[in-house]
Amino acid sequence: MSIGGVALALSLEDEKLFARAEKRYSAFADGVGIGRPVNVVPDCAGNGSEAVFASDFESARVLVSAKGVEFRGVKNEYALDSLMRMFLSWELLSRNGFLLHAASVVRNGRAYIFVGKSGAGKSTVASLSPAGSVLTDEISLLLKNNGEWRAFGTPFWGEFHAAGSNMSAPVAGVFHLVKAREIRTRPLRGASLLRALLPNILFFSSKTQDHQRLLEIAGAASEEIPGHTLEFRRNRKFWEVLP
Amino acid sequence: MNSAPNGVWQKNPALAWREIDDETIIISPTESVMHELNDTGSFVWKRIDGRRTAADLAALLAENYDVTREVALADTTALLAELASRKLVVAAAEDAH
Repeated sequence: MSIGGVALALSLEDEKLFARAEKRYSAFADGVGIGRPVNVVPDCAGNGSEAVFASDFESARVLVSAKGVEFRGVKNEYALDSLMRMFLSWELLSRNGFLLHAASVVRNGRAYIFVGKSGAGKSTVASLSPAGSVLTDEISLLLKNNGEWRAFGTPFWGEFHAAGSNMSAPVAGVFHLVKAREIRTRPLRGASLLRALLPNILFFSSKTQDHQRLLEIAGAASEEIPGHTLEFRRNRKFWEVLP
Repeated sequence: MNSAPNGVWQKNPALAWREIDDETIIISPTESVMHELNDTGSFVWKRIDGRRTAADLAALLAENYDVTREVALADTTALLAELASRKLVVAAAEDAH
């Protein structure tokens, strides 16, 4: 499978889990089996002291070490999904990218990124957008490639309850959702945009060097992507005010 | 004590930070806390190197901003005390200066 250009070859022993994963990630599976090997195992042995990246979700753990990538203690698809997000958040550092709590919708060939915490309106935006145009209603993947910021669909969803589309588009802008009575936008640039992005970026490493790298990437995104505050209410008319 | 004019500080090496516009965003990875400094705070932050004293930093501030040395020193020592209380700076080792 491939998410945001990150090719992964998942190896699962548990047949039921494999079937659920196959269904959950079907839009992102290429069937080729080529990619970075990820060994998914049910037991959670080892302390991970040799890991360059490690993070826990309940009793499951992602470990990246010289031995490769391991998802340990994975008993169900939710643990698998959480470890996948954790691993991608770290892996994207080397690819000028990051995961963001945001809905992404493609309109006229460009991706509009709607960022905000739970309840801010991400799923509402997705539900008010045409079928097939939603890259994700919950977790957006942004990365800079060949000088261009692009948004990629992800299989991570929220209330929309549908996998995002496996496609990408150049980013038109980032819109920080704020509930309001009127619909309007205000510019949000540089440091202000970075302040809006950082609390919404998924990140699980505790290492200073990883945080430094993330700051460099998110800082560049804040300087290079047009940002706006979108004062928003549940109404399709919000598209009319977007620049 | 390091809040004195001859006090010497260094940035906490556990922090990640980046300048953007004229501000500085600082992240503490262990606490997942974000701190922000305005333009004069950023000016001083960039020059905290484990060697300059508070008085050295205040002199640089006075040279670059329209403030007297006395005001600059008061502002700088207050800033350093605030940064120290947030563990963004730590006292420099004696052999560092």
